[in-house]
Amino acid sequence: MFEMFDKIKKIITSPAATLATFVLAVALLLFSSIGGARAALTYFSETYRTRVQMQDIGVTLEENGRSVSWRNYDTNKSDGTWDESTGALLTKMLDKGEKLKIGAEYPEELAVRNSGTIGQYVRVSIYKYWLDGDPADADTNKLRGLSPDLIHLHLANIGGGGWLEDEAASTPERTVLYYSRMLAPDETSPLFADSFSIDGMVATKVTQTTTTEGGLTTITTTYDYDGTHFCLEAKVDAVQEHNAQDAVWSAWGRRVTVDNGVLRLADAE
Amino acid sequence: MKKKNILLAALAVSLTLSAGVGSAWAYFTTYAQARGGYTIELGDKTTVEEDFSAWTKHVAITSNADSEPVYVRARAFCGQDYNLVYSGSEKWTPGADGYYYYSDILNGGETTDVLDVRIENVPEEIEDAAAFNVVVIYETTPVRYHEDGEPYADWTATLNTGTVEGGA
Repeated sequence: MFEMFDKIKKIITSPAATLATFVLAVALLLFSSIGGARAALTYFSETYRTRVQMQDIGVTLEENGRSVSWRNYDTNKSDGTWDESTGALLTKMLDKGEKLKIGAEYPEELAVRNSGTIGQYVRVSIYKYWLDGDPADADTNKLRGLSPDLIHLHLANIGGGGWLEDEAASTPERTVLYYSRMLAPDETSPLFADSFSIDGMVATKVTQTTTTEGGLTTITTTYDYDGTHFCLEAKVDAVQEHNAQDAVWSAWGRRVTVDNGVLRLADAE
Repeated sequence: MKKKNILLAALAVSLTLSAGVGSAWAYFTTYAQARGGYTIELGDKTTVEEDFSAWTKHVAITSNADSEPVYVRARAFCGQDYNLVYSGSEKWTPGADGYYYYSDILNGGETTDVLDVRIENVPEEIEDAAAFNVVVIYETTPVRYHEDGEPYADWTATLNTGTVEGGA
């Protein structure tokens, strides 16, 4: 009996056995991907389709109660495709043929809806800038000499309302907001903006050119903002609720704390 | 030999554990974005038309088709020997500053109603015709809007010439 144990002990402790175990570990590691492939095959069987709980993430930007843009993982597709649509803001602000009333406030109610199936935390980056008239070339035709401050998006629910402004990340052109609470599936956040206007100051900014010819001096005054195109841009980012603190740091590069489901900006406390 | 075995075993274990690292670092994220805007149109060009008959100037101001909406005011000046009497459309109303204000917004391509400026106390025979002069001036200011969308005229607004370019 003891001889048999000795034999087994010798075999286990032999270098050959150790090497064999190592090879087996490598083989198991390499073949671990086969499990995923097999799972994909069984996923499509009728039996498993009803039992699999998908962890789909999705987010939608809402403007005045309508969905403008969204990007949702498509539950019906297993190949990693997304149901997504990118719309435009402010399209309903003016009626056909109506001209913009400078100084007047227009309703611009913006919110975020969780259009996925898992809880999530969201942030919004708002950009305001001027273009030289061709919105298709936002990068090349941005007019950096004109003031984003004259484009007013009135923010709502900042602080007590649940939205936090990340002042460290904000600039005159960009405002970054974090929603401090988790958004449950199909839940819509409180509004983060409620109205929009263009400051009347745009009609007072002019450039004068003085020319003298034949003893005659001519002063030509042109409006700096005439013919320019203002742009309002909103980008919503969403990240999973699970392990949100690390997920936010990993995905967005922002240190936050999440205690009892409440997100706080790490350096704002 | 024993050390080598331990190293091999440790490597095997770490390799096996590392298989789960990929999924631990992957977080569910998504995004959505949209943008929009409009082109700003500023500036106006207006012209005044004057007809003269029966010692009355008939004044109307026209805005070019591509002009932004404006408010209009006008008044006339003359020597102290004469009186000026304004009449015409009810849309022209006197202000405390001597101007007559046109009540409607003048949109691009539109013309105001006529403002009549009658000259009184004109002598039957004018000795120095060159000295007889009645000047009508008019001003416009772009229509501005309160937050509630109500239009108003700001006659005190000044232009901010942040940039002045010179040339010869």
